[in-house]
Amino acid sequence: MNVRRVVAVAERIALGFRRDRRSLALLLVAPLVVLTLVGLVWGSTAETIPNITFVTDRGNLPPAIASRVADAFARSSAVRAQSGTFDDGMAALRDGRTDGIVWLEGATLHITIEGSDPLRSGSIASAVQKALGEALAGIGAAIGANLPIAVTAPRIEIDRLYGSADYTLLDYLAPVLIAFFAFFFIFLLSAVSFLRERTSGTLERLMATPLRRGELVVGYLAGFSVFALLQAVVIIAFTVFVLKVQYRGNLATIFVVEAIMVIGAVSLGLLVSAAARNELQAVQFVPIVLLPQVFLSGLLIPISQLPDYLRPLSAILPLTYANEALKAVMIKGFPIGDPLVLRDIAVLVAFGAIVAAGAVASIRREVA
Amino acid sequence: MKSPGGTAVQARGVRKRFGTIAALDGIDLEIRRGEIYGLLGPNGSGKTTFIRCLAGLLRIDAGTITLLGTQPRDAVAGGRIGYMTQTAALYADLSVDENLAFFAQLQGIADAAARVDETLRTVELLDRRRSTVSTLSGGMKTRVSLAAALLHQPDVLLLDEPTVGVDPVLRQEFWRHFRELSARGVTILVSSHVMDEASRCDRLGLIRAGRVLAEGSAAELVSRAGARDLESAFLSLAGTDAADQATGDGRA
Repeated sequence: MNVRRVVAVAERIALGFRRDRRSLALLLVAPLVVLTLVGLVWGSTAETIPNITFVTDRGNLPPAIASRVADAFARSSAVRAQSGTFDDGMAALRDGRTDGIVWLEGATLHITIEGSDPLRSGSIASAVQKALGEALAGIGAAIGANLPIAVTAPRIEIDRLYGSADYTLLDYLAPVLIAFFAFFFIFLLSAVSFLRERTSGTLERLMATPLRRGELVVGYLAGFSVFALLQAVVIIAFTVFVLKVQYRGNLATIFVVEAIMVIGAVSLGLLVSAAARNELQAVQFVPIVLLPQVFLSGLLIPISQLPDYLRPLSAILPLTYANEALKAVMIKGFPIGDPLVLRDIAVLVAFGAIVAAGAVASIRREVA
Repeated sequence: MKSPGGTAVQARGVRKRFGTIAALDGIDLEIRRGEIYGLLGPNGSGKTTFIRCLAGLLRIDAGTITLLGTQPRDAVAGGRIGYMTQTAALYADLSVDENLAFFAQLQGIADAAARVDETLRTVELLDRRRSTVSTLSGGMKTRVSLAAALLHQPDVLLLDEPTVGVDPVLRQEFWRHFRELSARGVTILVSSHVMDEASRCDRLGLIRAGRVLAEGSAAELVSRAGARDLESAFLSLAGTDAADQATGDGRA
């Protein structure tokens, strides 16, 4: 390995980036635009309060109690409630003026919801239960034994091992988003850049110089890593100082994990470029490489909630380990020396090494 | 200093297949040091494949290739081979200077800046050194490409159709450079299908379907075929198949 030649390749890539201001701007600005959007969407703690209709002509509550329950619902902070007949409620539900209609029958709380959005459905049901709990607690003392269902709704207090009640969704997602953006942009850029090397004939010319294949790949890794890490600094600074994402761990540790992940992303880009004939094809590899990682790496769905047969797949995806390590560092505040973080880093190093070796081999296949 | 005489390139029974196609079907040839050897043949005859084998870019299936007494890969690693690809093969977004400085670094040239200056003077591009390659004309790109192959002062120059798309004035200039280099002992292998160019070579090898059909100086080939000129000699020696592919514009 000749350091001078490796440095020459890395410098050539840096020079290309400096000439190609647009790609550089995309690399640094695009993640910030998307993160800002994500921040606006997920960064607020305010939960949407469902509108419900408490049905007065159904169920078997004595009228006196029913009206007290209706009042309590109306005062509840968990829902915005009004009373009405079942038919009015159903009509409102169809028109989207109410999110659910509610009545009590025996010990059963009936909630009819619109049902086309599973995420919304869950939050309506839990809001109604909370409101009912408040309602019953408020009137329980007065009515006592006459109530058909349990009076004493327990007060729930949640203590957290990690995170805190004021963490927004963005706080939880920031670690995985940082990893995803770094992986995405660097993978795409390195794939297209190396593809150009192959299609323009410069790879052929390089291979007819004393430059070795390993030196070329390491030079690429070095050149792209500089920009990937620049991107990481910008993204981390933006999430921490502008979006004010809450985090616990050491920023330097976050940076180290990301640096190692990025080496794997660059190598994967080089390897994939061997399978593509043109830039359009290279871009089509993006969903193949990235979408499985979006769904299976714990980015959107926790790995523990995946079906058994998908878990081995998530175990071979690099983002799985990057996500786990970054979550451990940012949310749980684990140090870099923690066995879990070290294990994830080791897996990322191994992934980078294997894929880089694959990239070297892919150059051999083409030129002697 | 490079001593004249002796063998620079030796190929013995070189075979290379791509799938079912035999690109090289037993090539035998020898190029002497300081010689300008023209590899003449129709498109698809194996010229580029053979040059890529010499440049260490392809592994041959059978036979032997010796360059300057060693394997092609070793000769390349030692910086003794200059290879000019058919297309310009440069970094379009970098300047002429930056391209050449990069290749100079890869070749491990000690005083890279001075050598880049010198080479740019040779190909007469000093005034465009700061230009981005993508803004250059086709002929200028070809000159930069030649400069990149000359930078490290190789002992053997492999030029794959170096004057395609080059105007007659520049072509004249190129051949003046090639002659100068040859006089200094540099061995040059030029592939071409342009007859006027072929006649400038010291020796020619007619290649078709991956075999060398005939070898000799232009005059020898013409007299051996009993032909009027090199073009008719080529057509007669290459047989009717090649004649079918030949067009009337001086190409065969």
